[in-house]
Amino acid sequence: MTTLEDPATEVDAVGVHERRRVIGTSQLRKEDDRLLRGDGRFTDDVDPARVLYMAVARCPYPHARIVRVDASAAAALDGVEHVLTPADIRRDTEPLTVLRPVPGAPQLPYYALAQDVATHEGQPVVSVVASSRHVAEDALELLDISYEPLPHVVDVLAALEPDAPVLHPSVLDSNLLAANSDGSGDPDARFAEADVVVEGRFRINRVTALPMETRGVVAEWRPGARELTVHCSSQVPHLIRKQLAETLRLHESDVRAVASDVGGGFGLKLGVFPEDVLACLHAIALRRPVKWSEDRAEHFRGSTHARESVHDYRIAADSTGRILAMTNVYATDIGGWNSPFGSAQLSSVVFNGPYKISDGYTERRVTLTNKTPVGAYRGYGQPEVNFAYERLMDQLARRLELDPVELRARNMVTPRDMPWKNPVGAVYDSGDYERCLRMAADAVDWAGHRAAGRTPRPDGRLVGIGFASFVERTGYASSRFLAKRGSVFGAHESVTLRANRSGGIDVYTGVSTMGQSSETAFAQVVADVVGTDYDAVRVHAGDTGASPLNTGAFASRTMIAAAGALRSAAEQLAAKTRRIAAWQLEAPVDEMEVAGSVVRVRADHSRALPLAAVYTTAITGQGMPPEEEPGLEATAHFEPPDAAYSFGTAAAQVAVDPLTGEFDIERFVLVHDGGTVVNPTIVEGQVRGGLAQGFGAALTEELRYDPETGQLVNGSMVDYFVPTAADLPHVELLHTAVPSPVTPFGVRGVGEAGTIPPGAAVANAVCDALADHGVELSALPITPEAIWSALAGRSSGGGDPELTPTTTDLPDGGVEY
Amino acid sequence: MTSVENPSEVLVETVTTVNGRVVTANVPARLHVADFLRQHLGLTGTHLGCEQGACGMCTVIVDGEAVKSCLMLACQLDGRNVQTVESLAEGDELNPLQQAFKEEHALQCGFCSPGFLMTATALAHQGRRPGRDEIREEITGVLCRCTGYDNVVTAIERWFAENPQGASEDPLPAVTDTIATQG
Repeated sequence: MTTLEDPATEVDAVGVHERRRVIGTSQLRKEDDRLLRGDGRFTDDVDPARVLYMAVARCPYPHARIVRVDASAAAALDGVEHVLTPADIRRDTEPLTVLRPVPGAPQLPYYALAQDVATHEGQPVVSVVASSRHVAEDALELLDISYEPLPHVVDVLAALEPDAPVLHPSVLDSNLLAANSDGSGDPDARFAEADVVVEGRFRINRVTALPMETRGVVAEWRPGARELTVHCSSQVPHLIRKQLAETLRLHESDVRAVASDVGGGFGLKLGVFPEDVLACLHAIALRRPVKWSEDRAEHFRGSTHARESVHDYRIAADSTGRILAMTNVYATDIGGWNSPFGSAQLSSVVFNGPYKISDGYTERRVTLTNKTPVGAYRGYGQPEVNFAYERLMDQLARRLELDPVELRARNMVTPRDMPWKNPVGAVYDSGDYERCLRMAADAVDWAGHRAAGRTPRPDGRLVGIGFASFVERTGYASSRFLAKRGSVFGAHESVTLRANRSGGIDVYTGVSTMGQSSETAFAQVVADVVGTDYDAVRVHAGDTGASPLNTGAFASRTMIAAAGALRSAAEQLAAKTRRIAAWQLEAPVDEMEVAGSVVRVRADHSRALPLAAVYTTAITGQGMPPEEEPGLEATAHFEPPDAAYSFGTAAAQVAVDPLTGEFDIERFVLVHDGGTVVNPTIVEGQVRGGLAQGFGAALTEELRYDPETGQLVNGSMVDYFVPTAADLPHVELLHTAVPSPVTPFGVRGVGEAGTIPPGAAVANAVCDALADHGVELSALPITPEAIWSALAGRSSGGGDPELTPTTTDLPDGGVEY
Repeated sequence: MTSVENPSEVLVETVTTVNGRVVTANVPARLHVADFLRQHLGLTGTHLGCEQGACGMCTVIVDGEAVKSCLMLACQLDGRNVQTVESLAEGDELNPLQQAFKEEHALQCGFCSPGFLMTATALAHQGRRPGRDEIREEITGVLCRCTGYDNVVTAIERWFAENPQGASEDPLPAVTDTIATQG
């Protein structure tokens, strides 16, 4: 199947046949009218009376002792209302907490303002509140802060060497925050008996999610009510509430967090940041609302970055190309502090990608460096390993003189194998991985390309085609899985449905609206299960004062978990609606149905009641059946039994100039399976958007630090190249839709897939084109300069050390394994 | 708190027209147009993404041309005519450009949408009917991190195709009344 428009009957997870009407169709989005009219409510749009503005002084050094802070001149400036210094923070708050800890890592003393020592450029040191942002920034100029610069380290491997300056000596002896290993079988034995081993050291660039809306917070404190209201740009308002209560020594009941419209999250807006704590403290001290809107220079240094890691990958195979074992030992950069979701964990979980391997291990060394903290970013470890294992698959194919498509097909997990447990315990639920691969190969005419050979075009350019097959874990395996890893949130989602007197249904959810179209998709599910109109369902998102406690919008988990809760709550609400109507119409309950704006007798549509009347009956309690309680409201919780794995294959065709390294991506095909599709247009939008970020990270984006000064050298929109409308290749999307057996309706998450394969597919295409030149790329981003360097290195016979197989092991940070 | 006077807070009297209303304001000399629209006039549909002229979130139309309102001072609006995203809808109905964005799923988080809408509207004022590649080039001044742009280009292309008269429309709304605001 290559189209997503298919609202056909399917069998869902529990074997119930449902006739879907709205699910599976491209409903126009609930979110759009307000956003298109400039009537969204982003955090900076919240403008309470008597609001004051916060600005933050930040450490200009990568590593420095704070010797002295004198804020007296700043505090005396006309319009300045309040100043917070490191000593205030130590006295009045607890360190920031982590939501998804690195197993085995100690808690770092991460305070909202640096205590004694700052460990990255951009770490907050003093904050000021004034009558305007201008005045607050004027006050920053009047601060007198003395720093003693300390030796710094910004390279992730250098940070693990014995002579590296240690960032957190009070809790650690080295910069290794923790090491986690996992695996099964006997990979060492398989490597010893293998006919061929391919291996390489793969360097993944430091990038950032760069949502178009920066971070922001508006905090307001009513001391008599003991109520702290915090508007914030967050994917997880209920977790913000929890973290703020912990850090500010409040009860959770004292805190209301509201995230209404969020201008992009992508994983960056997961959890409390130092500035959130500071704005709250100022508001509590002043009893006035305090707003902080991050500027982009702050965002580049004070939010979170992502992906940077170095992977030593090895694959062992027999002479037929059957993979015997795979290993990945990698150092992942977490920056100066452990952010709430720091260090992507999925590099270990899906290190084998779509390939069936019983012997393998993976070892992660989470490494502190004097750089901005690393947090979650769409893909969360999966693009990183996909680049490495898919590059090695092509190298293996070349070594064995096999067709890379056939090599992949031979090693993929098959539908018959599933459910299948990989070497680290991840259970792949279902899917036809090979079908996606074959569809991609057909779409780019791989057979024709193979037959044509590597004849240069008249302009001298060489054409190559590369593939990248992948799996994407979506949702969480279970609360037990999360508990084992110390995560402080659940795998479930919760929703409340409430009927109203206008005949509509209000949906209350803690899932904030950040572009993922959850308002639309939630309304589709509720409308279908109840049988009412899509327009009659209204979603109220992101307010902890109104929604049931939930987890939040990340890990491509929203639909997987929320769909079950929505269905359950909608079934309860619809059943009660039918019981009330049956009693009023004196008809049997099992003959009642909800249809649009009425509830009626299935066989006699003239016997019908408006939903508004039935809902009013329940809300007033007047005219209810004797055994029914008044009210028409349902809260439901749902935890999926396991994670669902999306999957697919991308194919890129490039034309490369072998003299200059310049290249064009002439075609890019992605065959993707996101399971049962709730809204085809939205799914396609998610996949295309993910690809755009994937291309950015693969081709143009890289945050670079000067090793001498430890400074971020390209921390601005002018110097950090996210793709514009003119930069992206044309993408051809094809789909399959294999329902997942572990989720409601058979859905799989779709938010992150696009970020995964671009790097590997493009690199493989370039290396295919340049196979006669012996080029094997092993670093991102893929730039003409990198290709030219690789070409130059090969033709001179020297060889770029980064492109040769590893000769020494990754440094281990002083820990014996 | 004891106060030290801040010499940077100079006010400038400015008379401008915003979405058809004459505005008389005393604005701080260093206030940029985006902050003026958002904080003084409550027109929060104009967003800020970088304050460096690079991201395009703050694009508005000044005297018929697309302008990055973070790079222009509010006092420079004196005597000029400003159009923001709030002027586009026709009553409670989306205008055809907005409707094309909705139907083509040209937005996800929607933070960038006002920038694209005002860029496209200004493009129409130039009286041309650009093709797909030209639209792609013309909107490179506005960044989007959600959509991958394809649907944005499609929506604008469709709008030009379905509204050939759009280019000849009066580029600015008629002046209706006056409001005053203080710095």
